Amino acid sequence: MPIPVKLKGKQKGLRLRLKSVPLATACIVYHRFFKEYTLQQYDPYLIASTTLYIAGKVEENQVTLRDVVNVCYRTLHRSKPPLEMGDMFFALKETIAKCELFVLRALQFRVVYNHPHRYLLHYLTFIKEWMEPYKWDELPLARTSWALLRDSYHSTLCLQYKPQHIAVAILYMTLESHGADIPFEDTAVTPWWKVFAEDITLDIIKQIVGELINTYDLEMISS
Amino acid sequence: MQREDHNIHYPFCQDSSKYEKLCKIGQGTFGEVFKARDRNTKRLVAMKKILMENEKEGFPITALREIKILQLLKHDNVLNLVEICRSKATPYNRYKSTFYMISDFCEHDLAGLLSNTNVKFNLGEIKKIVQQLLNGLYFLHSNKILHRDMKAANILITKNGVLKLADFGLARSFSLSNKGNPNRYTNRVVTLWYRPPELLLGERDYGPGIDTWGVGCIMAEMWTRTPIMQGRTEQHQLQLISQLCGSITKEVWPNVEKLPLWGKIDLISGQRRKVKDRLNYYVKDQYALEMLDRLLTIDPAKRIDADTALNHDFFWTDPMPIDLSTTLSKHTTSMFEYLAPRRPGTRQPAPNAPGKPAAHNPDQHFERVF
Repeated sequence: MPIPVKLKGKQKGLRLRLKSVPLATACIVYHRFFKEYTLQQYDPYLIASTTLYIAGKVEENQVTLRDVVNVCYRTLHRSKPPLEMGDMFFALKETIAKCELFVLRALQFRVVYNHPHRYLLHYLTFIKEWMEPYKWDELPLARTSWALLRDSYHSTLCLQYKPQHIAVAILYMTLESHGADIPFEDTAVTPWWKVFAEDITLDIIKQIVGELINTYDLEMISS
Repeated sequence: MQREDHNIHYPFCQDSSKYEKLCKIGQGTFGEVFKARDRNTKRLVAMKKILMENEKEGFPITALREIKILQLLKHDNVLNLVEICRSKATPYNRYKSTFYMISDFCEHDLAGLLSNTNVKFNLGEIKKIVQQLLNGLYFLHSNKILHRDMKAANILITKNGVLKLADFGLARSFSLSNKGNPNRYTNRVVTLWYRPPELLLGERDYGPGIDTWGVGCIMAEMWTRTPIMQGRTEQHQLQLISQLCGSITKEVWPNVEKLPLWGKIDLISGQRRKVKDRLNYYVKDQYALEMLDRLLTIDPAKRIDADTALNHDFFWTDPMPIDLSTTLSKHTTSMFEYLAPRRPGTRQPAPNAPGKPAAHNPDQHFERVF
């Protein structure tokens, strides 16, 4: 997995002021594209820039082509001066516009995705109700889980599992890492995660968490 | 991307040559629509060409929205999108391939049916059409989508009498605005004759009410057989609305004075509301008149929504809505507005494409080919 590309992608996304969901869409488009093609066939940086542009359109968080070109150039060539308005600029613009069509075609125009974000948010509001207020205030559960979810897009988890399952697993990992318990978990008939997603098993949760931890290891190697 | 582009195999996006174009069935600001047949399965489809000229921002966002929305919305009363196809990039088209949206083929559109005097609908059949229209719209609105181009020509009807909402070229998702943060959608939407007063007064924070106004206009058209308010300009359209629905004042529409064009456009005063009186000449059913009155309400906040309209007595009193297939089976040729002979004095204005200058001629239309 081209981790550096993803990292750059995220930086660009943040600079373009894209919200979390468009950013997540960009990642899925990117992963889906490279499921079909290899990194040797297409420049991952070009594809990454294009997916950001597409995601902005799909999620009604539109960014102009001009901004995409400038931000991507700036992120990829940090030591160089900003891009001048000229042949190079117009060439890059046209490249992304053409690449956009190409990516859309490769995806068969399937650009609607169901992200774990909404599920996670929904589950978190439940957890908040269940926990003692002081404990909820003490632990940054929402922040941690949101960060984990964002990081999960560095891997292809989003293509392999149902969004509900990813959200539950992220929540599971969050609770584990903060050493937090769900009240009355020991005596409950149904484990909490089964309440959120009926068809989930502890095995699935552990698989997802395992893969997520692997991603962090990869990142360590590459940096 | 290199010129060898056209040799690359796209695993998913099919070549448009798998369909055989039969004839042209529509033309508008959105591009051309063809009736076509799948060469293998012989299935009939409609092919809509995606216009890509003068696009500085890559693939048009409106087309992407339309595709996204149609993929998302699967409902009996919403046109079904089959797939997206593209033509091969060859030296003949300067390596620019064309994209087509392929959807199910519907035999008629409502404007075409209404312009044909041989097609007669009884009250039960009219109810069925309006009910299906509201069903589709309710589905759209509950999925937080605005159609933004309701008009008779965009309502398709299959030979079995199933109504399909079509042309989502102007549609978009919407969110209910919170007080401090109003939405700023473009108000250059909806074909002039079907455009509600809030859009004409420059509102940019609008909601599903803009589509239900259109339902009112279309419903009345079921009896009048021709669009009820055929304005020449925005000003004229507002005048026609006032003459039918009464003057637009702060009394009937609280907060109207906050709209951008309030005070900048001359509104006629002293007009009495006469929706029921004027339509009474065509519409004899009291429930129908009552519902038209609720749909053509000036204040969008008081206008009836699709859900409430579906519960209206109009649909639940005799004659009940009945199937259209018997009436339609008498007509074996397709009826489309595009193919219909022009009705005197009823030239359909094109919808204002977003971004068009304000001084845009509403009479702009495309020549029909006979």
